[in-house]
Amino acid sequence: MEIGGEENSLLMHPKWRKVAYGGMQRGFNDNHTDDSFLEDMVTNANVVQRDLVKVMQDSISISQYLCIVALVVLVWSYTLGSNINCNSLLLLDLLLLGLGFLVLLLTGEMISLNLLLHYILNITYFVTGLYALSPIYHTLTRSISSDSIWALTVLLLLVHLFLHDYTGCTVKVQGSRKNPTLRSNISLNTSIIASVLIASRLPSRHHVFAIVLFSLQVFLFAPLVTSCIKRHSFRLHTWLSVGLMLATLVLFFQLNWFLFCLLFSLLVFVTVVCPYWLIKIQKYKFEINGPWDEAKLCFDIRD
Amino acid sequence: MMGHQKHRILMVSDFFYPNFGGVENHIYYLSQCLLKLGHKVVVMTHAYGNRSGVRYMTSGLKVYYVPWNPFLMQCTLPTFCGTLPIVRTILIREKISLVHGHQAFSTLCHEALMHARTMGYKVVFTDHSLYGFSDMGSIHMNKVLQFTLADVSQAICVSHTSKENTVLRSGLPPEKVFVIPNAVDTAMFKPAAERLKDNQIVIVVISRLVYRKGADLLVEVIPEVCRQHHNVRFIVGGDGPKRVRLEEMREKHSLQDRVEMLGAVPHAQVRSVLISGHVFLNCSLTEAFCIAILEAASCGLLTVSTRVGGVPEVLPDDMIVLAEPDPSNLVQGINKAIIMLPKIDPQAMHLRMKSLYSWHDVAKRTERVYDCAMRCSDQSLLERLSRYLTCGAWAGKLFCLVMIIDYLFWCLVKLWQPAEEIEAAPDVTLSQQHCEETPWNFNEDGSVR
Repeated sequence: MEIGGEENSLLMHPKWRKVAYGGMQRGFNDNHTDDSFLEDMVTNANVVQRDLVKVMQDSISISQYLCIVALVVLVWSYTLGSNINCNSLLLLDLLLLGLGFLVLLLTGEMISLNLLLHYILNITYFVTGLYALSPIYHTLTRSISSDSIWALTVLLLLVHLFLHDYTGCTVKVQGSRKNPTLRSNISLNTSIIASVLIASRLPSRHHVFAIVLFSLQVFLFAPLVTSCIKRHSFRLHTWLSVGLMLATLVLFFQLNWFLFCLLFSLLVFVTVVCPYWLIKIQKYKFEINGPWDEAKLCFDIRD
Repeated sequence: MMGHQKHRILMVSDFFYPNFGGVENHIYYLSQCLLKLGHKVVVMTHAYGNRSGVRYMTSGLKVYYVPWNPFLMQCTLPTFCGTLPIVRTILIREKISLVHGHQAFSTLCHEALMHARTMGYKVVFTDHSLYGFSDMGSIHMNKVLQFTLADVSQAICVSHTSKENTVLRSGLPPEKVFVIPNAVDTAMFKPAAERLKDNQIVIVVISRLVYRKGADLLVEVIPEVCRQHHNVRFIVGGDGPKRVRLEEMREKHSLQDRVEMLGAVPHAQVRSVLISGHVFLNCSLTEAFCIAILEAASCGLLTVSTRVGGVPEVLPDDMIVLAEPDPSNLVQGINKAIIMLPKIDPQAMHLRMKSLYSWHDVAKRTERVYDCAMRCSDQSLLERLSRYLTCGAWAGKLFCLVMIIDYLFWCLVKLWQPAEEIEAAPDVTLSQQHCEETPWNFNEDGSVR
């Protein structure tokens, strides 16, 4: 027999083999370790080397969204202080809506007249519903003190920023295959609650309608619009973001010195410190792969 | 040579009979064989349902079911020092000389090993599983393992892949880690008396139907194999969350008459299921050793398995067909096995398995590890603390703190209940001659035979 012969020759010249069967191997202890030990180990197979400029450019998306949220807060505080009246707020809503559609039309690839009509119909439903509900929002938190509302709003906004999906858009675009994750949904919901809470402090139901519409427009569609711009032209995205950051800083400088400092340091932290930090700690990255890893399935599990 | 020194061993693990699995089997058979070699073996595990207290099993194997109920996946709640008094009492009562812990995610095992080290006992640890390095769970687990293994006398792994894994996870020197595989009770897994008919090929799958055991792979493979071969039938034994998917697959491809789902198969009936088939299919995505393959091979089945973890080391190349863990490759593997099938003689395979694996061999090899552990020098608390300190910037200090608290608690317990006041348990000696050839069975609720 062939196998018998092989085993015989192995008995004559014992050579250590990496096998578990056949009992203890002749001439070797069970703790024998030879050169083949850890030979299948692969280290840092999937590690991407990053450079500082690229990371800083990518971090601009985050700063941009921070600025957008800061601007929404600015509008809220001006409205609460009665610095903006109801009509100009509605004008702002219309302006933003038009601008958003314009950007989508100019940059989107698959916008057709049909789809546009579909969008307009949906928005009409939405606005009507909101208008009908605004008296309820107006009196929603009458029994709660303003301090609690502000504290809760700040908390919700922090949660929103923490869980926000900065890579793409939070609403599902017609025809896109990627579904929003649970995290981004929670994030979106917290922002909506925050805007409703703020709106309930306003003097009239027209104000409420205008401010909720404004906040929802921004929170729902700003990520979509910015990601469209980013896909269209990265250079435009960068310049727009820088412009937005400067505008926000100037507006905050006029509003409150402390908030300005806070925002400024946050932006510096996000765009400069964090990328530098990431590059610095890159060298500690140590990934180990080997035969002990759980095998990954190469197909999708359809449940 | 101290080769014939008799040890008094305490096996500790959360996993033991009445549970079934690789670890449970390993502890049971190892203990039985060590008893035959003349050592004293006591097993310590947590209570299972109303099974708590002291029980005796075949050949006088004493089992302590400590009255601690499991809280998650059969593991006890980690209490750090809570188990010290009972572990100490058992160690003194049974005059134990060496503690042997099993399985990395058994909290009882980690705690008992820690207390045993505090009390100056020699400690051996067996790792039965593989862990990655990427997810949060593994990172935590590896830190706990590092804590336990920082101070063990010797460690045992069940395959070479498992040894590499353990060395990487715990930072132990490779010379301290022994490879002693599992074995199979060939007397219990005999092939069928007459050969099965060749006109129909039966493929047997016995595993828990969960993600890690590759149930999703099975869902893809079965329809494809059934499409290619009209004389192939499947028997699937086992239960689990993925059973629904398998049944959906069966309905969708209308394979009700060709895929039989048995549900959970009790261990005692595994052989009768195995011998009704020609080929054994294992789809696991990760596996340190895989005893199921041994059982199937011992019953004379040709095995088709995914090439993961320690599986390639388990059988010689002509007894197993290995395939990559993707459906098309696995189907190719099954095709290859079907071609090889006429040349396979189940009886010859069974005899070969008998020569390749035996629990007696495992016990003898484990005995050598025990001898090795007993030769290790004793260490003072300070020396051991310095070893813990090297485990990590924060973890090292935390480990030291835990050890110091454990040491102080031990001193307190010594004051509270001095060792002289603990009554020693008498040894039960059974006549060894007549039980040499009887197949082992779990002696359900048995008193001393």
